[in-house]
Amino acid sequence: MSRAVRAVLVALALLLAAPALASALTVNQVAREVRCPTCNTPLDVSNAPIAVRMKAYIAERIDRGWDKQRIIDGLVDEFGEGVLTTPPKKGFDLIAWIVPGLLVAAGLIAIPIVTRAWARRPRAEGPAPREPTDDEARALDVELRRHGHGDV
Amino acid sequence: MTPDPSPPPRERRRLAGPIAAVVAVVAVIALLVVGLLNKGVDTSIRDALAAGERPPAPELTLPVLVTGDGIGPVGSQVSLADLRGRTVVVNLWASWCTPCETEAPVLDEVARHYRVSGKDKVVVLGIDVRDVSDDARGFWDEFDLSYPTVRDRSDDAWGKFQMTGVPETYVIDPQGRIAYRQIGEVRRADEMIRLLDDIGAPPAKAPA
Repeated sequence: MSRAVRAVLVALALLLAAPALASALTVNQVAREVRCPTCNTPLDVSNAPIAVRMKAYIAERIDRGWDKQRIIDGLVDEFGEGVLTTPPKKGFDLIAWIVPGLLVAAGLIAIPIVTRAWARRPRAEGPAPREPTDDEARALDVELRRHGHGDV
Repeated sequence: MTPDPSPPPRERRRLAGPIAAVVAVVAVIALLVVGLLNKGVDTSIRDALAAGERPPAPELTLPVLVTGDGIGPVGSQVSLADLRGRTVVVNLWASWCTPCETEAPVLDEVARHYRVSGKDKVVVLGIDVRDVSDDARGFWDEFDLSYPTVRDRSDDAWGKFQMTGVPETYVIDPQGRIAYRQIGEVRRADEMIRLLDDIGAPPAKAPA
């Protein structure tokens, strides 16, 4: 085989392998989905002895061709659901996903209702105006006349 | 006729919003307080032992990982209550724990002592915590251990024994009470055997 043909074949093989290499699962991609049971930090930033063992567990499963979800399920089987960095979207843990959304929705609904109620509210109410007494009416007449006005 | 003390309906409607807001704020504060209180470390076992008392052992049921001394088969559930009537040495361990490597042969010596002497009144029971089960089985094979171990998959034993780390060892008397707690490794088999004989011995009769 000529050198040129061999070079073309190698280049072709590399081209074909490139997407597979780019999408290969790494230990850290799985590790950040679970937490270290002893230090409670995400596994990818922990170097505790159990975290080292868990990373080895992940690496061994990647070598066996397991996908990400299967490895995470395996870790849940070993350590319980508490090992997940985010609660699962099922059962009681669903509350952790639903409640924040409900609170935001309630806030969005409340804003127009509250602002409309505030806009409709009458301004500060003082005591109702009353008719002046006879003495007050006479004093008012005197004052107005003094300033050049006629009878009220 | 006495006047109606309750506010008119319009007034009640006006108050409903602020009242609901106050209730919501109080509920959130109450949740935070409960969360903070629950995060606190429970020290009731060590406090009771320090006061010379024997607190009841926690209720625990865990699956068998390695059989031995009549405990098994693998996968079956074993409860601490099932072992009532015997003195139980509960050793909480993990395969990644370095002190556990020096301690396990010592505990095996203790287990063999009671097995050979025919005193089946004492059983050594491992509880594997925060571990990969394959690693735990590998540890057992590597050190050729003869006593049984169960597996704590989700921190049940860790929480109930109020653990601070591994290894920790508890001695539970035949009445199901915690008589002794050791933080860190058990170093000497003879000292543990003496302690177990004292704990398991029937109380001395009062002089007539």
